[in-house]
Amino acid sequence: MSGASLSPPKGPAFLVETRGVMRGLGAFVVAAAFDRSGDLAAFALGDGTLRLVEPAAASGAWRSAEAHDGAVLSLCPDHAPGRFLTGGDDGQFRRVRADGVAATLDKFGMKWVEHVACHAGAGGADKPVLACSVGKRVHLYDAEGAKLKTLEHPSTVTGLVFDAKGKRVAASHYNGATLWFVAAKTDSPRRLEWKGSHTGVAIHPAGDAVVTAMQENALHGWRLADGQHMRMSGYPSKTESMAFTRGGKWLATSGADAMVVWPFFGGGPMGKAPTELAGGDGVVCTRVAAHPQQEMVAGGFQDGLVVLAEIGSSRILPVVPPGNGPVTALAWDRTGTVLAVGTETGYAALIDFAKR
Amino acid sequence: MADPTAPAAGAQIPVTVLTGYLGAGKTTLLNRILTENHGRKYAVVINEFGELGVDNDLVVDSDEEVFEMNNGCICCTVRGDLIRIVGGLMKRRDKFDGIIIETTGLANPAPVAQTFFVDDGVKAKTRLDAIVTVVDAKHLPARLDDSHEAQDQIAFADVIVLNKTDLVTPEELDEVERRIRTINRFATIHRTQRAAVPIDQVLDRGAFDLSRILAMQPDFLTDDEHEHNDDVGSMSFEVERPIDPEKFNAWIGGLLADKGQDLLRTKGILAYANDNRRFAFQAVHMIADGDFIGPWKEGEERRSKIVFIGRNLNRPQLRRGFEACQAD
Repeated sequence: MSGASLSPPKGPAFLVETRGVMRGLGAFVVAAAFDRSGDLAAFALGDGTLRLVEPAAASGAWRSAEAHDGAVLSLCPDHAPGRFLTGGDDGQFRRVRADGVAATLDKFGMKWVEHVACHAGAGGADKPVLACSVGKRVHLYDAEGAKLKTLEHPSTVTGLVFDAKGKRVAASHYNGATLWFVAAKTDSPRRLEWKGSHTGVAIHPAGDAVVTAMQENALHGWRLADGQHMRMSGYPSKTESMAFTRGGKWLATSGADAMVVWPFFGGGPMGKAPTELAGGDGVVCTRVAAHPQQEMVAGGFQDGLVVLAEIGSSRILPVVPPGNGPVTALAWDRTGTVLAVGTETGYAALIDFAKR
Repeated sequence: MADPTAPAAGAQIPVTVLTGYLGAGKTTLLNRILTENHGRKYAVVINEFGELGVDNDLVVDSDEEVFEMNNGCICCTVRGDLIRIVGGLMKRRDKFDGIIIETTGLANPAPVAQTFFVDDGVKAKTRLDAIVTVVDAKHLPARLDDSHEAQDQIAFADVIVLNKTDLVTPEELDEVERRIRTINRFATIHRTQRAAVPIDQVLDRGAFDLSRILAMQPDFLTDDEHEHNDDVGSMSFEVERPIDPEKFNAWIGGLLADKGQDLLRTKGILAYANDNRRFAFQAVHMIADGDFIGPWKEGEERRSKIVFIGRNLNRPQLRRGFEACQAD
């Protein structure tokens, strides 16, 4: 027996305690995003403001921008660095700059601007495209905010996403999703049909598939090459958040008491079981964010817990401890160095994963 | 709050559903609610065909988008727009005290009510406080003759505002009220002109939380008074011995699966054997929900009651079925 003193047992170490900056923002965090450079983070709040901060100076003051008269409903980076696009329940589609100045791009009266999306344009040839959804319509704009066209859907649009190249835009709605070519002269969309209420949409990074979340606690997918249907079910609650990993090998999803990650290779997801990460304690996963470079996924849970999981090894890194309210916003910067976290009760954090 | 012992009800936002035909006085009532000095703020969900302007800070325009759930239940339709709107409003829930949903004149109330049963997010954040139906005393009889929707709006109501009483004679008014009672004998009826009803008689009723059922008198009608036509009627039953939960679940499950399309609303307060809490049960068509709502009060008679509002109600069958749920 050794007489050496033992160090006291350590509790789980959460990364936010040593590498994070936390703030109480006082309102529901609806979404978080980084601008195109990754040098600016934004938290969109239920009180209509956008809180802006440079991750490199996160311990300093966070700026507040008056974005909407009501709640911010949606947020995404604009095509150029230092700017964001927002939609609000005041019927406005707006652009917010790093200095907090906001400008209205379009307005829709009493209708809510529920979703916004933007593709920065790849290479020199393609131009940036901005999009927002209002009721059954998706509106597309050029980089300056001039309207390009309006896309009609059979029912209210519940999710809006560009493909990786910005060539196509997908919208989910009742009884399926619609896939549009952004530049097509004649609007002949591809209708992806499946009965039921589809509540969100994702496109595979290589354009292989479109996946929707459904009211009935399941996902539905269409393989675009042949229209093959995919059913991914077994969730105890609705999937509110889903994200493909960088190469499109995996689709990470919320809605179960673990991060449920579906394989999109080797014939999957059809006939394949998903990988479950960070599960087992009966708390529902509410948000996922795929790492932009590695095969890792950040997951936020109903109790406020945030973890980072490596898919191959199922290794879990605790990031934020439980106790700050259900996680409602989770976003990586462009390089996967900084993670932004927000919760229903107004807690926000930026965590730095950079090598030291 | 009608029942302060109801679990966590304070944390949930009360929702009032306002139905009624075009011209019955729905928007008049709505504006009365919003302009009265009650110190409370409401988020108002109106439909895009609203007849008059609504004067309120927080007005949401809805499309009344109904969809069928893929849950094997043919009559389970849900208002998808409400699921989204409630989710959106919750992002600023500190800005209002309640939600009022106005439906279009011809709307079937079932999808609205079912939304509050089916969607977990909506269920967690809100509670359906009451369905308030505004009817026009002069034109209601004709509406009841020619449309299912008018009957359904009466059948679903917890509170009925019998409006425009100045346009009919006292005899006609009594006759209209009698007709309402044949459809729904359990709703509270207020006779009004220009929808002038005290606001506290319409909002925060806790009507949907079922505790009122206990106070209702059972009907003492005979078993042969059931109708086999398409008209909506209502019946209630009461038993003295405690209920066996397994027997009740088996019976009500089968009944709703079999007759759910005809059963517009079912609600009950049950005294389970070996449990001192009241069990509240309710269903809209086939979609059912139940929960304990706090203990029986000291000295309170522990009788189980159940109410059916619907078409083709078979009194002896329903009575025998409910009676057979009593514990041995």
